[in-house]
Amino acid sequence: MSAGFLDIDCVKYACTCGLLKTLQQLYFCRYCSELRCTFCVSHEVDSHFCGKCCENLPSAEARVKKNRCVNCFICPSCRQELSTRAASKQPANPEESKATKRTYYLSCLCCRWSSRDIGLPDQTAATGSWPKRESIHSNRIQEIVSMYKGLQEKEKLDKEFFKKKQKEKIISYTDKTGITAAALRKRIGLPEDKPILKPKNAVKIVTPSKADENIDDFDEEVLTKSINLLEITSIDQRLLQPDVQPKEISNIFPIQKILSIKRSLRCRRCEHNVSKPEYNPNSIKFKIQLFAYYHIPEVRIVTVEPLRAGQACELILKFTNPTQHQTTVSFLPFDSPIEVKEAIPEEGAISQEDSLEELDKSSLTPSKKKSSSGTKLMSLVDTHITLTTSRSSARALSPRSIAESINCTVDIPSSTFILPPRDDAAEYDDFNEVHNIQDDKKLVVWRKSNKAYIKLVVTPNEDMPIDTTVTTGFTMSHLYTNTIASVADNKKPQKFNHNMRVILKLGKSVGLN
Amino acid sequence: MSDITLPRNNIKITTGALVCEDSKLRGDITIGKDTIVHPMATIIAESAPIIIGENCLIEEQAKIVYRVPFDRVEDKDNIPPLIIGSFNVFEVGCHVEAAKIGDSNVFESKCFVGNKVSVSNGCTIGAGCQLTNEQELKENIIVYGEKCQMREGLSKPLPQYSQMETLMKILPSYHHIKKPTQKTK
Repeated sequence: MSAGFLDIDCVKYACTCGLLKTLQQLYFCRYCSELRCTFCVSHEVDSHFCGKCCENLPSAEARVKKNRCVNCFICPSCRQELSTRAASKQPANPEESKATKRTYYLSCLCCRWSSRDIGLPDQTAATGSWPKRESIHSNRIQEIVSMYKGLQEKEKLDKEFFKKKQKEKIISYTDKTGITAAALRKRIGLPEDKPILKPKNAVKIVTPSKADENIDDFDEEVLTKSINLLEITSIDQRLLQPDVQPKEISNIFPIQKILSIKRSLRCRRCEHNVSKPEYNPNSIKFKIQLFAYYHIPEVRIVTVEPLRAGQACELILKFTNPTQHQTTVSFLPFDSPIEVKEAIPEEGAISQEDSLEELDKSSLTPSKKKSSSGTKLMSLVDTHITLTTSRSSARALSPRSIAESINCTVDIPSSTFILPPRDDAAEYDDFNEVHNIQDDKKLVVWRKSNKAYIKLVVTPNEDMPIDTTVTTGFTMSHLYTNTIASVADNKKPQKFNHNMRVILKLGKSVGLN
Repeated sequence: MSDITLPRNNIKITTGALVCEDSKLRGDITIGKDTIVHPMATIIAESAPIIIGENCLIEEQAKIVYRVPFDRVEDKDNIPPLIIGSFNVFEVGCHVEAAKIGDSNVFESKCFVGNKVSVSNGCTIGAGCQLTNEQELKENIIVYGEKCQMREGLSKPLPQYSQMETLMKILPSYHHIKKPTQKTK
């Protein structure tokens, strides 16, 4: 993810999978009501497009074109995009034609490399006519690829053949009762069983390459001749064209631009999208964007007193509620166990009902998990089993431990505080804000609209040497309002406490005063 | 640097040159024919005179400073003038302290060229490149990128005639222009 001005890594949230991320890097699955990061969602390629000309290519076409754009090139010298420049060329003898001929060449605006540098003749058309350089190994690679494709196919057929043979060995009930399988097939009206043929061995094996006995003599000039750095390519430039690996700068060649992708991210547990971009490459908007930033209260460090080993000091944090619903935040010790879902008792029944309904739905509609073989009844049972097992296994899946050692304790306050909903118009409100929130004065220092400044007392460990980074953490529990169920079923929005661990890097410890 | 007192302002502008009143010129400076100096450009001839050739383009916030060359600190009085050739372009925000500048060079935006560098002809110093080490840029060298990679260009950068023509027309209608003091030879 990009580093934005909000993306400050002194406050990190522990994802459900146990990785530490900033809030801006996290997603929030509304269906599971859990944090997800880029490592615990499945990535799917939505579309291929060229970042320069914004042309959209279907994935099959992109594969044929080797994931490269036909019209756009990048500079072999500095990797910037090359732009097409027009030049007018006077014809050789003016009597022939008075009109000047327009020719085109490629030029880099960063390093001023141009296609004329390598003696590439100017083209008469702006796009599409640039010569392609074929690799001398391309035929050989094609041969090898097709050989392995053939081998793969053959292996598959062999396996099937083996399976069929195994099946034949088993005597079925119909055989015992005297009705042969063939007779049965005839009666039902199925075509006759084809005799199993052993797949033909039709893979053409490529002649293996041989190591050459004759090796060129060592060129002593390499050691004696002084190097002109302006004539040889850098490692970077060489590896940019792995098929040719030019040694000299005069051999570099414009490179077709590699296509970019738009990808959608999907929660692995519930298979809902957490992020889905719009298909059009010109659009930077999202169809679905469940960023944690829109759902989870943001924690920022405001001030912290000088941190001295064993001494309590004051820490002021700012909490911001990004949602349209009021929330209550409370603190729990860092190591308090986090349950997957903590339903409030009265809503508990509904949620159970929901899950039952969900099960029913999934059993009625053909599920993706359904195995291709087996009767329909079997598949129904199957889905029930897979669903329940997958759920239980997913729940049982323990996240990895958080790779950050806490060397500072927080005095967990017993009281909670309320964060009002976000109001975009509040900023423009000239009137003095009146809020009737009864705050614990020891906890809440100041508040404004959907923000609250919270005072905590932290104590770095006794044995901490000077100049170590002080890391502290707590479990933040906030009341989350899930609006998904209410939209779908006209129910009241579900409310439950959502817990997550927050880790704060407070800075370096200082010596005693 | 405090012991150097700037010589008295002695600005010589050849006819045909376009020097905006808002530019900051200090010391003994000669500006050649058809050269354009934008408002807010800074030229400081600290140690010795600066002579700017023809058809140069000095854009806003560009800084040309001629300090005492590092190898000549001993005899301050005998410093040769800095002669900047023709067709040079000093883009927005560049800072050039080079001891020698030839013809047809381009100093792109926000680049820095230190006083130990001498620039020959047809060089391009890319945007944001910082050249501080003692070196001599050969002809048609192009410096580009974060790490100041170098490559040799095919030809000199082309002079931007159309751009300069437009500026010659537009600048006088929005800015006060310094009057030329010298006639073309």
